Amino acid sequence: MIAHWAILSGIEGNLRALEAVLRDLQRQRPPITTLYVLGDIIGLKGENDAVVQRLQMPDLEPLEPQICIGWWEEQCFNLFGVGISGEVPELIAQQGEAAVGRLWESISRSSVQWLRSLPFGFHELDCLLVHGSPVSASEVLTPATSPVVLCDRLIRADANQLFCGRSGELFDCWIRAEALTSEVKTLDGREEQTFDLSQRRLIGVGSVGRQPSMASYVLYQPGNNQLKQCFVRY
Amino acid sequence: MKYAVISCIHGNYEALNAVLLDIDRQRVDQIYCLGDLVGYGPYPNAVVEMIRSLDIPTCQGCWDEDIVMGLNACECSYPSQLAEKRGRRAHEWTNRVLHPEVRDYLAQLPMTLRQGNLCFVHGSPNSQHEYLLPSMHGFAALERVLAAQAEVLFCGHTHIPYVRYLREGKIRVQHRGETPQEFQATVKMIVNAGSVGEPRHGRPNATYVIYDTDTQEVTLREVPYDYQKTCAAILEQGLPPIFAWRLARGMEFAERADDPHHVCQR
Repeated sequence: MIAHWAILSGIEGNLRALEAVLRDLQRQRPPITTLYVLGDIIGLKGENDAVVQRLQMPDLEPLEPQICIGWWEEQCFNLFGVGISGEVPELIAQQGEAAVGRLWESISRSSVQWLRSLPFGFHELDCLLVHGSPVSASEVLTPATSPVVLCDRLIRADANQLFCGRSGELFDCWIRAEALTSEVKTLDGREEQTFDLSQRRLIGVGSVGRQPSMASYVLYQPGNNQLKQCFVRY
Repeated sequence: MKYAVISCIHGNYEALNAVLLDIDRQRVDQIYCLGDLVGYGPYPNAVVEMIRSLDIPTCQGCWDEDIVMGLNACECSYPSQLAEKRGRRAHEWTNRVLHPEVRDYLAQLPMTLRQGNLCFVHGSPNSQHEYLLPSMHGFAALERVLAAQAEVLFCGHTHIPYVRYLREGKIRVQHRGETPQEFQATVKMIVNAGSVGEPRHGRPNATYVIYDTDTQEVTLREVPYDYQKTCAAILEQGLPPIFAWRLARGMEFAERADDPHHVCQR
């Protein structure tokens, strides 16, 4: 069977948007072999527990859903005292004070526990799939990000394709770096080296639930490197 | 202006004295210190008091942070579990002997210092624990200098001094369906100040650097001192004897093969 990946992010608790995308996936040819969900499963767009349960349903089995954490999950972990920090300054700064109570009310402890078991991302073939960047789930990468930062993140990713979802945007951009000369002098000598970075790709996978009535995601065939950007009205 | 930049003193008062004397002879205008005043060595209080009395601008190192915040060696340097155990013993000893006012001083040190287009950090602009090794990919190194919004980035943490020039970096970004954008970086420099009190360049001499802003010349300085005095004090204080052994040889010591699965505690 031809490997055909569907890669989504940013459901943000929007069950209607998720159902619409799942229906769209059933229609895709060649059939989808792997479903990647790059974080932000939960958010403030609807029913967090329902989305968590939906992603665990057996009817998704043939798609082998591979799910990792995103920015919203990290906020949730901090809020429930199971994260790196016991505070949520990013949540308050980006979503306002009221978001703290709303997020707390919107999700059960058992869902938090399940989310806590999810990985940071996936390294598959020559691809890295994460929510933000190899540095953090919070970091937003887009084609407008400083080219040097993009190079650094691709080096850290140790992958030819870096899929990310934090921006919620769909994009497909190629980065190539060449001709950097590095001269190092130590107490014992001097060494010169030239660095380059063969062409790498940064892919924004869109957002399922962030925009009302319009979901977006990408399809990718690792066999031929083909990428398709998809939109679904719901 | 002529700056002397010192780093990683690690409680080695003998080495600090020798380096300060050498700096005095070089007629510099200002000294900067990149942290790690304490840890490993037997005189943490005396070292901090000396730095404070000379009013040397200093940023916080990973050891200084760990003493203040509690052992928290994420992305740590320990290459083996045995090395980590020794590090923990040194941490506990330092924590026990440190004077409260010294701890308060270490707590208020900034992560970064700036002077014009120069930036001073302990490890990297990202973290006190990140190593900017001379072998780091050139574009990743360039990103660290740009992240610091500097032309010259001074760091320590590796205990081996070097100066690295990054020239002619060119990057092409092409968004689907659009014209490629080209980015060209100007020359940037990373200067590693080495280590005053725990050198690892293969000789026991203390190391530091001098930077001349007028000529942009970097001089790596190597200063002999009576390291045997410090070695004896390490043993007297009951610190791990391997610290004296490696200080006398100017090298890191680690049992890599014993602990291939070392995992940081954090």
